[in-house]
Amino acid sequence: VGGGRGVGDPGRGAGRSAPLHRAVAAEDLGRRHPEAQDHRSLPAARREVSTDAAAEAAEVETFDELFAQDGHRASMPLEWGDPERSLERTQFFDVLQACLDHLPASLARIFMMREWLDYDTSEICKELGITPTNCFVMLYRARMRLRECLEMNWFATKGAA
Amino acid sequence: VNFPLKITCKEAHHLLSDRMDRPLGGGERWRLWLHLRFCRMCSRVDRQMDFLRSAMRRLGE
Repeated sequence: VGGGRGVGDPGRGAGRSAPLHRAVAAEDLGRRHPEAQDHRSLPAARREVSTDAAAEAAEVETFDELFAQDGHRASMPLEWGDPERSLERTQFFDVLQACLDHLPASLARIFMMREWLDYDTSEICKELGITPTNCFVMLYRARMRLRECLEMNWFATKGAA
Repeated sequence: VNFPLKITCKEAHHLLSDRMDRPLGGGERWRLWLHLRFCRMCSRVDRQMDFLRSAMRRLGE
């Protein structure tokens, strides 16, 4: 797996340390911190995640409680105001981390690979053995759940004020 | 070929997410653009998706 922005890259991500999300499996950690690799658990972990991923993708159409039958949104998303200010608050990142922890493991993993480790979707598909369509749908579901979670636990609370 | 211009919020939400992972086709881009011009809900979610990405870039810094 090539790709421009790997772990050894001194750019983004360098110097960052824990807290690493638990859903990022040993092999991903290995990409970031080669010394942390645990070879014994790799094949099993990969198999488990792929099965998970397939199951997640299979229930694609059943999920969307966000939308009414006709495809219209059931409820108005909140206005988040000036969310950039939240990035200055350490409490915000605690909430974000908690929201990530509450995602189903397979969604958390694929989301972390995409948005934190900065993999291309093609790399993710290859690594998890899923189709691009499944990949996009899982990322969609992760983003929508995180959106909801941040809204409920941060933007709708006094924390964001 | 019939490309309906109108898409639902559900389709728009999918495209909002998809475009963070792959380039949209011309038709998709145009339909999403049109939808976002008129839909406040989806425009909101669009901004929130960008914010989520920037937040993830800062996570663990």
